[in-house]
Amino acid sequence: MKGIFTLTASAMVLMAAQASAQDLRVAVYTSSEPHLKLLNQLADGFKASHPGVNVRFETIPVADYTQKLSFQVAGGKAPDVAWMMEDAAPAFIEANILMDLTPVLQAFPNYDLADFTDPAMALWRKGDQVYGVPFSTSPFLIYYNKAMFDKAGLEDPKQLAEKGEWNMTKFQEVSKQLVAANPGKYAFEFKDGEGYASRMTHALLPPIRAYGGDLWENGQCGLESPGAVKAVQQIHDMVFKDKTIVPPGTQGDYFSGDSAMTVNQISRASKMKEAGFDWGVAPLPTGPNGEEGPVIGQAGFVVFEASPNKELAAELVAQMTDKEGVAALAQFFPPARRSVLTSDAFLNKNQYLSPEMMGFVAAGIEKGRVVAAHERVPQILAAMKPRVDALWRPDADVAKSLQGVCAAIQPLL
Amino acid sequence: MTSSLSHRSGAQARAPWLTLQRRDAIEGWLFVSPTLLGFLIFFLGPLIAIFIYAMSDWNFLSGEATFVGLTNFEDALLENPDFWHVLRNSAVFALGLVPLNVALALFLAVALSRPFRGVIIFRTIFFAPVITSAIAWAIVWKFMLQGEGGPINQMLALIGITGPNWLREPNWAMAAVIVTRVIKMVGLNMILYIAALQAIPRDYDEAAGLEGASRWQIFRLITWPLLGPTTLVIVVLTTIGSFKVFDHIYQMTGGGPENGTLVLAFYIYQQGFQFFDIGYASALAIIMFVIVTILTLIQVSLRRKDDA
Repeated sequence: MKGIFTLTASAMVLMAAQASAQDLRVAVYTSSEPHLKLLNQLADGFKASHPGVNVRFETIPVADYTQKLSFQVAGGKAPDVAWMMEDAAPAFIEANILMDLTPVLQAFPNYDLADFTDPAMALWRKGDQVYGVPFSTSPFLIYYNKAMFDKAGLEDPKQLAEKGEWNMTKFQEVSKQLVAANPGKYAFEFKDGEGYASRMTHALLPPIRAYGGDLWENGQCGLESPGAVKAVQQIHDMVFKDKTIVPPGTQGDYFSGDSAMTVNQISRASKMKEAGFDWGVAPLPTGPNGEEGPVIGQAGFVVFEASPNKELAAELVAQMTDKEGVAALAQFFPPARRSVLTSDAFLNKNQYLSPEMMGFVAAGIEKGRVVAAHERVPQILAAMKPRVDALWRPDADVAKSLQGVCAAIQPLL
Repeated sequence: MTSSLSHRSGAQARAPWLTLQRRDAIEGWLFVSPTLLGFLIFFLGPLIAIFIYAMSDWNFLSGEATFVGLTNFEDALLENPDFWHVLRNSAVFALGLVPLNVALALFLAVALSRPFRGVIIFRTIFFAPVITSAIAWAIVWKFMLQGEGGPINQMLALIGITGPNWLREPNWAMAAVIVTRVIKMVGLNMILYIAALQAIPRDYDEAAGLEGASRWQIFRLITWPLLGPTTLVIVVLTTIGSFKVFDHIYQMTGGGPENGTLVLAFYIYQQGFQFFDIGYASALAIIMFVIVTILTLIQVSLRRKDDA
């Protein structure tokens, strides 16, 4: 009996202690042990300076991340802080459910908000207000299979980039040579092999930007611009005439050695350990006249307006994204702070990428623009999808198909 | 107090309140109460909620909801051409899947209802896909049906046929999802038919045989009519299942190509959980509910007519 009393009393004390502690819940989409370890280390620093505050990271699988986060918000159970992907950010900002972090960031000691590059902050600002702070600003890069280039006796994309010859024309040229020298293989696979499905915009965007265009800009569809048509025509020819790009309905995984090149971000470098072939990264090919149009994928920290501890949550975000926080996160997530981008720690100490490769990453962040975003991205993508499917037919008229895409998405822009 | 009680019991012919009938009724209610409670909470509650949602314009993120009456239904039925396209796709899917599934299930059941060496192995082989994860099934078929270098097309190439790009051409994609779905689910209907076939007394067949009926005549005039109730159940369940198909489409085609396999359940998911338009998605769900109910009633009434 005495034992029961002791147990009950202990439970009550524990519950009282828990109730008095401020519990900050942070939703993230990583389940990687090293990532979570680092995040907890950063949170420990915050807890040390804020006694009685507890920080808990909650992993939501990446495939359903935005959806589940939305359900939590709708169900009145929004986390205090969350990671947010670039394509979801505008819808959340427009719904007025995110906290304006500006006052807290400006008041935070040595924060230096101006240290973040303007292109990196564009998505998270609305007027003078800042609704999120990017922690990962990851440019798209070309990953290449060095062995396949060697077999074809070709200079690899890095060498070509160094000579200033890595452009879209060269990309098409070497692709043909790669396929000729590596029978049964492809020269190029779209990002994550999803270029005809969930990553259709990621497939189109790099070539279109290289030709000076964009998917959409200032409420106008850009897919029927002459540059975009030329870019897509070239890719279309590579798929169906040259047969150098993995075609729709076929799998040709770069990471398994089925394709010589792909586009991806540095987070995928960890997969290369198991790939079993020599590899490298290079910038995206420039336009036919050397125009650069790097593409950046992004994720940021946001605080929900409904959080009962939103001021505290904003302080946590400030601490995790101050110069020290961003420098620590840069081990895994490319930073948007100029001071960290040029730092020795970022450029020379990545466990997967050489300092030379990291130079391409830093240049991509500095010059790049975030992937086209919009508050109605899900509807836009759904409207695009059937028209883009029609584009990826062997006999498609590229210009007409792109006009069809624009006709479908313009009302939504 | 005592006198009033005795007065009342006297007036009511001393009938105890807890009669045998009442006790049975209470016991009955107590027995069904857990199920009833579950039905109310998990079925009737959401069903009522969905009617309320369907009449609102609810922004899932901001939480703002306004009453819009029947606007969502009008949007679907009168203004949105996508809805009719999606409904057509669902109808094509059902019309392709149900006859194929029922015919194949019946064929397999007839072949495997009699005992022979290894029958259990064959039944297991045909039933195994039913218990396989739908997602794993779809992933494997997606690999098999690749346009270039896919195993199916490689096999066709051996006999000189150039296979299509199965999942990238709208008509072939629909055919591919129907056939792969049939192969996945046919085992369930096969088992139901086997059970029904085994319940038919052998005497009927034997008597008909003695009268000189051919095997086809026995099947057409005796077995098939006796399988009627089972066929009804199978057709109703398969039709409902075909309208509810989601996971298969989600993984194999994502509704593409060119919306060629965008069926109603997937469209509802898209509206509700990708566009966060819960009001419109709820209205669509109610329309689907009505369609499936009407189809079921038609099938039941046709069956009654047959019986009459």
